[in-house]
Amino acid sequence: MNRTVRTVADHVLPPALALFAAFLFWEFWVQWRDISIIVVPPPSAVLERFLDDPAFFWGEGGWTLYEATLGLLLGSSFAIALATAMAHSRLAERSLFPLAIIIKVTPIVAVAPVLVILLGFGTTPKVIVAALISFFPMLVNSMTGFRDVNPGALEFMRSLRASSWQIFWKLRLPSALPYLFAALKVTYPLALIGAVVAEWFTGDRGLGLVIFVANYNLDTPTLFAAIGVLALTGVSLNVILSLAERRLLFWHQTIRTIR
Amino acid sequence: MANARHHVSLRGLTHVFHDGQRPLTALADVTLDVAWGQFLTVIGPSGCGKSTLLRIVAGLLRRPRGEVLVDGGAPAAAQRARDIGLVAQDPALLPWRTVLGNVRLPLEIDRGARTRFAPSPEQLLELTGLSEFRSYYPHQLSGGMQQRVAIARALAFDPSLLLMDEPFGALDEITRATMRYELLRIWSAGGGAPAGRKTVMFVTHSIPEAIALSDRVVVLSARPGTVRAAIDIELPRPRTQEIERTAPFLDYADLMRSLLKEAPA
Repeated sequence: MNRTVRTVADHVLPPALALFAAFLFWEFWVQWRDISIIVVPPPSAVLERFLDDPAFFWGEGGWTLYEATLGLLLGSSFAIALATAMAHSRLAERSLFPLAIIIKVTPIVAVAPVLVILLGFGTTPKVIVAALISFFPMLVNSMTGFRDVNPGALEFMRSLRASSWQIFWKLRLPSALPYLFAALKVTYPLALIGAVVAEWFTGDRGLGLVIFVANYNLDTPTLFAAIGVLALTGVSLNVILSLAERRLLFWHQTIRTIR
Repeated sequence: MANARHHVSLRGLTHVFHDGQRPLTALADVTLDVAWGQFLTVIGPSGCGKSTLLRIVAGLLRRPRGEVLVDGGAPAAAQRARDIGLVAQDPALLPWRTVLGNVRLPLEIDRGARTRFAPSPEQLLELTGLSEFRSYYPHQLSGGMQQRVAIARALAFDPSLLLMDEPFGALDEITRATMRYELLRIWSAGGGAPAGRKTVMFVTHSIPEAIALSDRVVVLSARPGTVRAAIDIELPRPRTQEIERTAPFLDYADLMRSLLKEAPA
């Protein structure tokens, strides 16, 4: 218990205070220069707008998060499956990796409208955009992870005549976990961005639509509140992933050196 | 089980690596026999092909020139029969598994093995002095302790042949000297099995280690590795650390030192 209090005091308090100071500065700056609310709203107005109808923001945010999560799962599954194939066969790597690079270099923002034409206005195009955006980092990291195996352990498994399947489950996958977590920390926020961008074009629900409409109406408090909820969601995801990482990867040196 | 006359038999064994720019002959015309239950050490300067030799016997390097017989058959057959245990310099434990989990790994890979073989993982931990550490993770153990885990893991299938490639090479001198006699204790106990002493092929470049452990020491010359001499170590067993100060031990050490000096590095 004492330790929890200290962890909070050490790690949560300093950034919270810094953030509070920034908001304070922002508030006074807007008041002092008498900046129009159409340009930049004071934090107090944003907070007021949020507290006016928090269920609205959480509801729309939840929808966007749902799309991003589905996309992340879809993109990651494909990436991990492909990485598995590539880790086992050079031919698979040579033939499929260039295709993966094409997906990587194509600007997702340009693809989103095309997907709307192809897939309509439902959830699907958002999930696909989120999947596309999270695909490549996951692919590269899991490929590196599956190959970064202790050669001694691999030799020992081979001396036991373990099947490729056993080597994958008992050695390659656990060895790759640190890489998969590193990728998740990058791709989950990216998937969120992907979902928001897709909602701009095809919005029927979600924070992307809220931002789009608020921007159109010069309703800056709503716009900033939506952005704030998005940022908060991203931070929460990162915290959750970091905690899960610490629990699962206690054996890995990157975790052990933090303490 | 002892069908063949020798447990391991190498005839004119030659191995050339072709992965570099020029082909590299690691072993040239090596002929040697390892008797059943014998503790045989291969000693030689760095890069003399000792590890290559061991990896060929383990069935990890295929298609060498010459003849390799393990219990009268191919190394791969012995491997399939779960009759070879391997310990390398890097213990290569799985860091996400506890000590017990690491020792259990072979039994998970061969599900049928659980019932076929005598020593249970718990018994192997007892034998290697690890019982208290069963739920520790590798990073919580010293190098010597990790190597004990690797030895226990290699004994999981109760193999009759144990291949050890410089297992104590990464340990500090003091731990290393202790581990020698720990290994002899484990070996004398038959590796936890009732069948009797296992055959051990041990690779090292430490002279005292070779003498203290072995029934027979084979000295290899530098690259390409050829057999320079084979010396029977006629020191009484059980051996303890004190033996390293006796006159016969020191004589063997002198002899071996001069043989290794002749083998140009």
